[in-house]
Amino acid sequence: MRDLYQRLGVSPQANDEELKQAVARCPNSALRQDAEAVFGVATHRESYHQSLEALNDIGQLRARLGLTHGAHWQGDVANDFSRPPDQAVSRHDELVDRVSHAVTLYNRLRGRRGLWLLIAAFGIGTGIGIVVGFALSRTFAA
Amino acid sequence: MSIARFSPFELLLLKSRSQVDTAKLLLLAWVLAHRQQVSEGQRRRRLAQVSVHFRHGHELAPVMHIAQQRDLQAIQLAAEVLRRECSKEHGLGVMHQAIVVATDTGELSLANHYILRFLADLLGISPGTLNTLFQELTGRALTTPEDPSRDAYWRVHDADYYAEQAREAEAARQRAQEAQEKAEASQRQREEAERARAQAEREKAHHRQQRERSRHQERGSHRQNSQQGTSSTPPDRTTRALAVLGLMPGASKLEVRKAYRRMAQLHHPDRFYTESEHRIALASARFQRIKSAYDYLMHTYQ
Repeated sequence: MRDLYQRLGVSPQANDEELKQAVARCPNSALRQDAEAVFGVATHRESYHQSLEALNDIGQLRARLGLTHGAHWQGDVANDFSRPPDQAVSRHDELVDRVSHAVTLYNRLRGRRGLWLLIAAFGIGTGIGIVVGFALSRTFAA
Repeated sequence: MSIARFSPFELLLLKSRSQVDTAKLLLLAWVLAHRQQVSEGQRRRRLAQVSVHFRHGHELAPVMHIAQQRDLQAIQLAAEVLRRECSKEHGLGVMHQAIVVATDTGELSLANHYILRFLADLLGISPGTLNTLFQELTGRALTTPEDPSRDAYWRVHDADYYAEQAREAEAARQRAQEAQEKAEASQRQREEAERARAQAEREKAHHRQQRERSRHQERGSHRQNSQQGTSSTPPDRTTRALAVLGLMPGASKLEVRKAYRRMAQLHHPDRFYTESEHRIALASARFQRIKSAYDYLMHTYQ
């Protein structure tokens, strides 16, 4: 399967009018015939679009997993749907990093429990003092 | 370090009793999500059937939901976990399950063609092994996927559309033919009028030509060469006079005289004295022309 949008040089979101123009502009008569068969009918285009999206996903996944040269990924499909690797980060490594980060945060929080309690008590005390002082100054002024 | 929240699948994976099984579950759910003509309930039940021996220990519904949303990051994570944890034999088992889930009772959908191949690449299964496995499980060979970006695919899968198109083309052709016939009829009428006129003209021209030819014959066979001169440009009187004597333009006076002597002997009316009046008359006309040409040439050459 080929990516006709890419081969015709239009975006997959193009409307029918733009597509028709792009097909008419195409110099390769065989490709033009194929494109007419696919884009000429709404149901054909929809069904083609679904397959296209699935293949885009798979192309993206293969690029990220380093499988763009697999034995099962060849011909037109490999030509049109192999994406350049956008983010070479391993999701699993990232997950491990995140978990370890969360664990450190948690441990730090647990370890300084007394400190946190003190800070909290101090904060609350100050807040109450300010409010009381404010209320008293109001009553005396009146 | 990223500060993003943990995604639903990451949380599932962390809570899971067996990460590999959760990863397998998501990939199988992904395959199921790309099956055609299967209802939501059927997918859920199928997934439950497949995962009987899994040790994941969490609900299936969130996994199904993630797979249906086509969450690429989750699928990538599952693929990484699977690749990291699976041995070769285990990989074959996963492939086996994926093929069963993708095909039971139905055709392999186009997307699943590519998903199965992706899993095979992921698990390091060679095309030969995949083909045998597929053949064993389904009784059919693993064909190359069809190509909906080609005209030929739609000719097979949507024959109605092409039949309709052919009918329309036929109607258009007939309409065009009728229009052409009409045009041809009017054209024929016009042509006939034209032809009648042309006929009349041609007859006139024919008469003229006949007269011309008879005159031409009178000039005799002695002046083949002269025709070149007469055909290209309208010759002046000297050239015409020379042609009458059977000479090329630029002939000398001596040649003219010689030619005249010879022609005069040939065409003198006295030679035809014994023959019919008509021949004598023709010969005298020819002789006259030869003589006048000679006279004119002698006059100009002096």
